[in-house]
Amino acid sequence: MSMLELRKISKVYGQGASEVQALHEIDLWVDPGSLVAVMGASGSGKSTLLTIAGSLEAPTSGEVVVGGALLSEMSRNDQARMRRRSIGYVFQDYNLLAGLTSVENVSLPLELDGVSAKKARAAGMAALDELGLADRASHYPDELSGGERQRVSIARAVVGDRQLLLADEPSGALDSTNGEAVMRMILGACKRGVAAVVVTHDAQLASWAERVVFLRDGRVVDQTMSPPSPESLLQPAPHS
Amino acid sequence: MSVRYALLALLSEGPKYGLQLRQEFEARTGEVWPLNVGQVYTTLQRLERDGLVESEDDAEEGPQKGFHLTPEGHAELTDWLRTPPDLSSPPRDELVIKVMVAVRMPGADVHEVIQVHRRYLIELMQQWTRLKEDEAEFDLGFALVVDAELFRLDALVRWLDAADGRIKRAASEPPRPESFPMPKLRRRIGARP
Amino acid sequence: MITKLDRPPAQALPADGGLPARRAVVRWAWRLFRREWRQQLLILALIALAVAATIIGSAVATNTPQPANFGFGTAQDLATFQGSSPSLASQIASLQQRFGRSEVIENQTFTIPGSINSYQLRAENPQGPFSQPMLSLVSGNFPTGPGQVAVTSGVASDFNLKIGDLWHQGGTVRRVVGIVENPQSLLDEFALVAPGQVKAPSQVSVLFDAPGVSPHSIGPGVLTPQSVAGNALNPETISIAGLVLGMLLIALVSIGGFTVLAQRRLRSLGMLEALGATDKNVGLVVRANGGVVGLVGAVVGAVVGLVVWLAYRPSLEQSAHHMIGMFALPWLVIVLAMVLAVVATYFAASRPARSIARIPIVAALSGRPAPPRQIHRSAIPGIVCFVVAFLLLGYAGAGSGARPRTPELALGIVALVPGVILLSPFCLSVMARLGQRAPIAIRLPLRDLARYRARSGSALAAISLGILIAVIISLVSAARYSNVLDYAGPNLASNQINLYTPNGPYGQENLGPTQSGPSSASQLIRMRKTADAIAASLGSHDVVELETTSASLNHNAPGRNWSGPIYVATPQLLRSFGIKASEVDPNADILTMRPGLSGTSEMQLTYDSGGGVSAGPGQGPGRGTSASCTAKNGCFPNPVIEEVGALPSGTSAPNTVITEHAVHALGLQATIAGWLIETPSPPTAAQITNARQTATTANLTIETKNSAPSSSQIIDWATVFGIGLALGILAMSVGLIRSETAGDLRILAATGASSRTRRTLTAVTAGALGLLGAVLGTVAGYIGVIGYIRSNAENGGIAALGAVPVGNLLLILVGMPLIAAAVGWLLAGRQPSAMTHQLLE
Repeated sequence: MSMLELRKISKVYGQGASEVQALHEIDLWVDPGSLVAVMGASGSGKSTLLTIAGSLEAPTSGEVVVGGALLSEMSRNDQARMRRRSIGYVFQDYNLLAGLTSVENVSLPLELDGVSAKKARAAGMAALDELGLADRASHYPDELSGGERQRVSIARAVVGDRQLLLADEPSGALDSTNGEAVMRMILGACKRGVAAVVVTHDAQLASWAERVVFLRDGRVVDQTMSPPSPESLLQPAPHS
Repeated sequence: MSVRYALLALLSEGPKYGLQLRQEFEARTGEVWPLNVGQVYTTLQRLERDGLVESEDDAEEGPQKGFHLTPEGHAELTDWLRTPPDLSSPPRDELVIKVMVAVRMPGADVHEVIQVHRRYLIELMQQWTRLKEDEAEFDLGFALVVDAELFRLDALVRWLDAADGRIKRAASEPPRPESFPMPKLRRRIGARP
Repeated sequence: MITKLDRPPAQALPADGGLPARRAVVRWAWRLFRREWRQQLLILALIALAVAATIIGSAVATNTPQPANFGFGTAQDLATFQGSSPSLASQIASLQQRFGRSEVIENQTFTIPGSINSYQLRAENPQGPFSQPMLSLVSGNFPTGPGQVAVTSGVASDFNLKIGDLWHQGGTVRRVVGIVENPQSLLDEFALVAPGQVKAPSQVSVLFDAPGVSPHSIGPGVLTPQSVAGNALNPETISIAGLVLGMLLIALVSIGGFTVLAQRRLRSLGMLEALGATDKNVGLVVRANGGVVGLVGAVVGAVVGLVVWLAYRPSLEQSAHHMIGMFALPWLVIVLAMVLAVVATYFAASRPARSIARIPIVAALSGRPAPPRQIHRSAIPGIVCFVVAFLLLGYAGAGSGARPRTPELALGIVALVPGVILLSPFCLSVMARLGQRAPIAIRLPLRDLARYRARSGSALAAISLGILIAVIISLVSAARYSNVLDYAGPNLASNQINLYTPNGPYGQENLGPTQSGPSSASQLIRMRKTADAIAASLGSHDVVELETTSASLNHNAPGRNWSGPIYVATPQLLRSFGIKASEVDPNADILTMRPGLSGTSEMQLTYDSGGGVSAGPGQGPGRGTSASCTAKNGCFPNPVIEEVGALPSGTSAPNTVITEHAVHALGLQATIAGWLIETPSPPTAAQITNARQTATTANLTIETKNSAPSSSQIIDWATVFGIGLALGILAMSVGLIRSETAGDLRILAATGASSRTRRTLTAVTAGALGLLGAVLGTVAGYIGVIGYIRSNAENGGIAALGAVPVGNLLLILVGMPLIAAAVGWLLAGRQPSAMTHQLLE
């Protein structure tokens, strides 16, 4: 069973003359443990795809199924619960809450779900520890570097056994080293069985995914085949 | 990078035997560039002739013969390190030519052509990236080489993205008279072997 | 497919996250407040100020009057007997038998030699069951035996006594053992002796509890403390009313503040929602912030208020002449103030909370503000409120003085408030439409005001309410003071003193029935001498004899009563006010300075035609209001009234006099009512006290300037208050409203707009809000006042509004907007840094 399934998703903004078709009958599925990258130029609709997948926005038509549950049949509150329990977001600009420490930011989704503050904190600490940020737990976001902030937001996105990770340009403002670290973490989450979707225009980030979907003007135009083993690279005689 | 300077570089660390030189060369480049023994010895002989390396005279010819760098050799290596490679004229790039042909060719879907190449490049990059992923603590030299390859491919993908956008924009604008300085550029592209 | 959440401990967690979620959200709101409290300083300061002012104001107001239990201690009843009464002992015994526990206090009055002051020799048990609040020891001990006495510090200094001295008093020698005081009245001078030591008491008080028994049924001279709570207009209710109004204004102002704050946190709130917070939780962040601001403001205000109160208490004790407990505070008012502060800010934050939770998550995440909410454009609900207020106030106005329709009056005024609030957005959109053809620097701020009506509307409502209060006070006082029959104002000038004989207008009330009746000639001579002596002691030779007749002026309409004395225009009186006989119309019956009285038709002069007991003027309302007004029933229709501006304006001064011509024509008898003394400079309190003592000896009563303000004082104060309030609210809200459009400002600056444009934008915003507020407040005020006055016969109906306080209204309608615009212009020159940083966050 796929963790995320998008079935014939269309999204239209505006009406009449100013109508814009952001997405056109998109089909996409992501299995548990797999990392899918969505590539496309600006305005190709890739961010909209992500917000729809994450129940932040409703599609104009089509169905979103997360963990087997149809989003369109859920109330706003149930969707919120779905986000708390099953969906983790990582955004380009980290979006940590300024007034909360790292560990509080990470444990916030659990607390919002009704888990006691103590238990939530323990889970948050564990998630931070896994990403090597245990010593930063009581720092506020503005005391962290960009890379650290993004790592905290990844910890927040995966805390509490969430099964779907949605990342929108997760390494946006980071240098390539930090960007790579971020992708390694997302990959690490996938190894534990999390399904992840990364939206990006950066080929180097996308190449971390096992499947890359190309979006153009709101349509899926292409996707990569399952890549051959990397050993094949070493076979042909290289340029001297 | 020529084998010549690679050997000089290895010898700059200290005296080494011929066989050792070959093994280290392959190790440093992450086994991406295989080297045969013959190539190593021919190059070493030329270097000795030019007075850049010296062999240990008492040892006989063969894999156990040791070499070390002369001061001239050191100077030559230092000089080379600071000489920029010739990047002034663009290389003859097949990808560029294919896309340009597709633009002109009636009936060809240039975006589709671009996407085919893009997908191929990304698939290639996925393989390189997979190498990084597999070896968590991999060799520095190897990492540099993989990064270089990724960045090179990335540059091509970006060029494809840019070309894609430029062609799309051009299609929506009225065609302009043929006046871009194509001949001159063509000549320069063809200039480099 | 079956819904399966991959969550092993899928316990019965509440759907909305329950308490842990709310706690987490509130904790975040609290942290945000701690980080950004400076941005909310304005609202915080406002609330703290309001709470502190309420605490101090209500504390002073409730503690300044004499304690309600003055003279009673802890007892509920007090019986007073003359010490000379032969049945004293049996009366006390019967009280004690009937009500059980009681306490007897005996007083003997002694005068201090060489002084007009007196003191009491008092026998009181310091451990008595009821009198403890009336007695406290300053130093030394209470007297316990026959040879001991404790005195107040006043008595001690009068007789030069200190603890340990022997004091020969009233033929007895006692040792002074202590200094005492009456905490309920520091002016109470007495010498305390042990019970039973006062041999010849002049007055005996018995304190006892008679619950549920009417004091009159027990006997004459039995009293209970006047119930303060029984009076609806006690200081506590006034404080609460002011508090509620103040908090309403604060809530209106803070709506804008919280909206901007929520907008600033839009992205964080969007993130919170993306993390799975429900709409309720998101709204709770904003609401909790409001509550926290209210709570912190309330606590800070309470602390400041209490500290100021503790610092001010000693001086208040001095001026109020009684001890005030350190925590003798109206706690109900204080608790209410603090609760209201939290409630007001919580509800002020509720509106932005609701609108922020409605913004789509994606829009919130990208920091795109929601399109301005279209709030009811319709003017109809507001107009309906005004109509309701108009009708209610009309009904209230029709009530007479004896049967006031207070609930309708209050409801009517309250109905004006939602009217103003509901009409504010409409006014803004009208304003924007009017400004559509104006240059960009004017058009843009007007349009912004209309577009962001959620915050500008509440600011406008607050401004309008401030002006509304000022206008209502101004109009009502102008109408009240323009009533020529029931004349209002200060009674006398500060350098005037009235002395009244028992025949004077206030004499009989003061001296009791036994003293009434015409004074004998010898008494009169003595009184006149005393008057001259008092005048001399004040450095004045200007003593005008005041004579009255039985004549009184009336209007031939029910409910319109004359107030004030009518003295005889003797040549001496006219002369002393610089009026020459030749200036006066020889046919005039009445001379007056009350403007407009001479033009009032259907006036009647009523008098005692029978020649029996002469009644003082101004006593008999309704006399001669019958249709026939003839000499037979002592009525003289349409007297000739001449306006003479030189007469004094005080209500107790001869502002209206009857000419000798009329006195002769009607055959009236003039009697001496008193003397008016004009001193070169206002007498001091001590001089007044001395004069009063002297006057009492000759059976005279004295009247000096009271603290009643004049009409123009009231209107000026109301105007200053209204303008100050409006400008204060403007200062707070314009910054908020302009910061909302800081983005526009940057774009304008980037496109080459000068600082002049920026100034114009702010000035127009402030000026337009000020003007709209002034107009709306004035209109609402007029609607309310017209509604009331129209049906109010006592004040002469709608004609009473003829006296328009033009200058003050101009100041409100033109001056206030101009000041606002000018201040906006000046302050906008320096761009606040918050403006540029705001969108970065």
